Amino acid sequence: MTLQSYIFNNAKDTNVEDFQIRDYMITTVKERFSTYGYKQVRTSTFEYYDLYSSMMGTVHPDEMIKVMDPTGKVLVLRPDVTIPITRMNALHNHNSNTERRFFYVLDVFRQSTEHAADKENTQAGVEYFGKGTPEIDAEILKLASHTLDDFGFSNFKLEIGHAGFFKELIAQHLSVHDLGKVQTLIKTKNIAELEPFLDKLSLDNNLKKAILAIPFLYGKPQFVIEKAKEIVQNKKMQQELQNLIDVYRVLQAYGVEDYCVFDLGLINHMDYYTGIVFQGFIEDVGKPVLMGGRYNQLAAEFGTDIPAIGFAFHIDTLVDTLKQQGLCKSSTENSETMIYYDQTKQQDALKAANQLRNNGFTIITSCIESEDSQQNTSGIYFNKEENIYMVSNKTYTFSNPDELIKLIQNEEEEV
Amino acid sequence: MTSITLALAKGRTANSTIELLEQSGITFSAFHDKSRKLVFYSDDESIKLIFVKALDVPTYVEKGAADIGIVGKDNILEAEADVYEMLDLKQGKCQMVVAGKKGETIDLAKKLTIASKFPTIARNYFQKKGQSVDTIKLNGSVELAPLIGLSDVIVDIVETGNTLKENGLTILEEIEDISTRLIVNKASFTTKSDQIHQVMNTLKSALE
Repeated sequence: MTLQSYIFNNAKDTNVEDFQIRDYMITTVKERFSTYGYKQVRTSTFEYYDLYSSMMGTVHPDEMIKVMDPTGKVLVLRPDVTIPITRMNALHNHNSNTERRFFYVLDVFRQSTEHAADKENTQAGVEYFGKGTPEIDAEILKLASHTLDDFGFSNFKLEIGHAGFFKELIAQHLSVHDLGKVQTLIKTKNIAELEPFLDKLSLDNNLKKAILAIPFLYGKPQFVIEKAKEIVQNKKMQQELQNLIDVYRVLQAYGVEDYCVFDLGLINHMDYYTGIVFQGFIEDVGKPVLMGGRYNQLAAEFGTDIPAIGFAFHIDTLVDTLKQQGLCKSSTENSETMIYYDQTKQQDALKAANQLRNNGFTIITSCIESEDSQQNTSGIYFNKEENIYMVSNKTYTFSNPDELIKLIQNEEEEV
Repeated sequence: MTSITLALAKGRTANSTIELLEQSGITFSAFHDKSRKLVFYSDDESIKLIFVKALDVPTYVEKGAADIGIVGKDNILEAEADVYEMLDLKQGKCQMVVAGKKGETIDLAKKLTIASKFPTIARNYFQKKGQSVDTIKLNGSVELAPLIGLSDVIVDIVETGNTLKENGLTILEEIEDISTRLIVNKASFTTKSDQIHQVMNTLKSALE
């Protein structure tokens, strides 16, 4: 019997080289997150289906991967991390004034009909709870760009929009159905169809003009802010815009404004965002490598009122990009040393191997079948007559492991 | 400056687009109709042209294999690609319609079988109306399906309506106006903003 037919779904199998890149990536992310005071947490892989299905505008029920528990309750494989972490924080920290900084490296699961590999994706992200200030918003954006810098990407951009500004503009005036259509047209910057569609709705002329302007509100922050001032309809919008201006001020203080472009037509598919929303792009990569935003009302679903903001990197996309752009550092350390031994010297050889491993060397042992097998490659030989350490055409003899370790260390120093 | 990649379908769209670009000074002297090459550079090397199948243009752009693409709205809708749709080039105008035998009425209470080259568009349209449908994907001669009883109606693009008429079919419902669009990859739009705007402005001014 052959298992050939089970190969199709293994697209997430990761070989040794790829895993090293991935590991390097995750280590870099963790170190950077830590320097901003974030601490790692983990959430359960299984969640109740009802948790997500009762929250409108988060993950589409069809996208979740469902399993059933023995009592017949429907569970889903973690389709999103922000909601469980918000719940975790709401349950454990009733004092909403305390700042909490969490990060995670976890797999999220979504149904995907086209690509089996898209079913599971690793996300590395942060969630901040506590304050709703522009300083925190900018710090989060700085953390995102700081991490991309650490990876060595040179040409990347953070695209920043504002869910609050956008919601204030269109929320009260459109029916749910029309709103969906308008959002789709704005999301795709489809001005050719947006105008005739708005004409069909009975909207105030000023409002119509304002909505039509949204797809054009992108580019350099200064430019976008000036343009956005022209379409402000009410006090609430003015406040939201002021928030964006304040964030920009702090971004300038961080010196990251060159990485930032504003796009007030940016609409994230998650409905829970209330303030700034953003995504990160790297040149020549077709999709965003990170996504996030402010979600001040989500904690209210769990009975507390805590402002929050967060974002996540798509590790799988980043690994592909790192490989494609040749930025990965292949680790050369930890090269292996061979110990060949004769059957009669087994005890000595294994003892030495143990001692070397305790000293941090990577050792592979191998029993020599016959005397005449090749003794000209580098390595450590426990022959019947003598013990030899052979390296780069030099040959040393030794009598005990301590001597051997000294020999190896001397040799390494010379190199 | 890096060049930007433009995905096009060979044929009418390609020829008219290249004409538009040449009017505004971006020339492709290496390009001619009969060539079987799939990649061309403009003479100033600002644009790299790739030829792909029309239905694949949205896919190339969505995945970032091409920065921008020029393709009919029908193919954008069918591919359901997540891209910016920035410009209506107002060419290749036609309509996406539901057509059937003369006198046929669409009964909302009955399950409908639809044959189409665009099953996704057909399904989405009828789903919105609350009609349950079965779709059959065909790759050509769609008009035949209702005649020989393969389907109740068809969803297809119609330019003059002559093919429908000659086969005894008639337009039952109009779904959407179709024309050629300029689509842009969302990442490229941010990372190569200047170059993309240059091409867009070139096309815009050539259209006027």
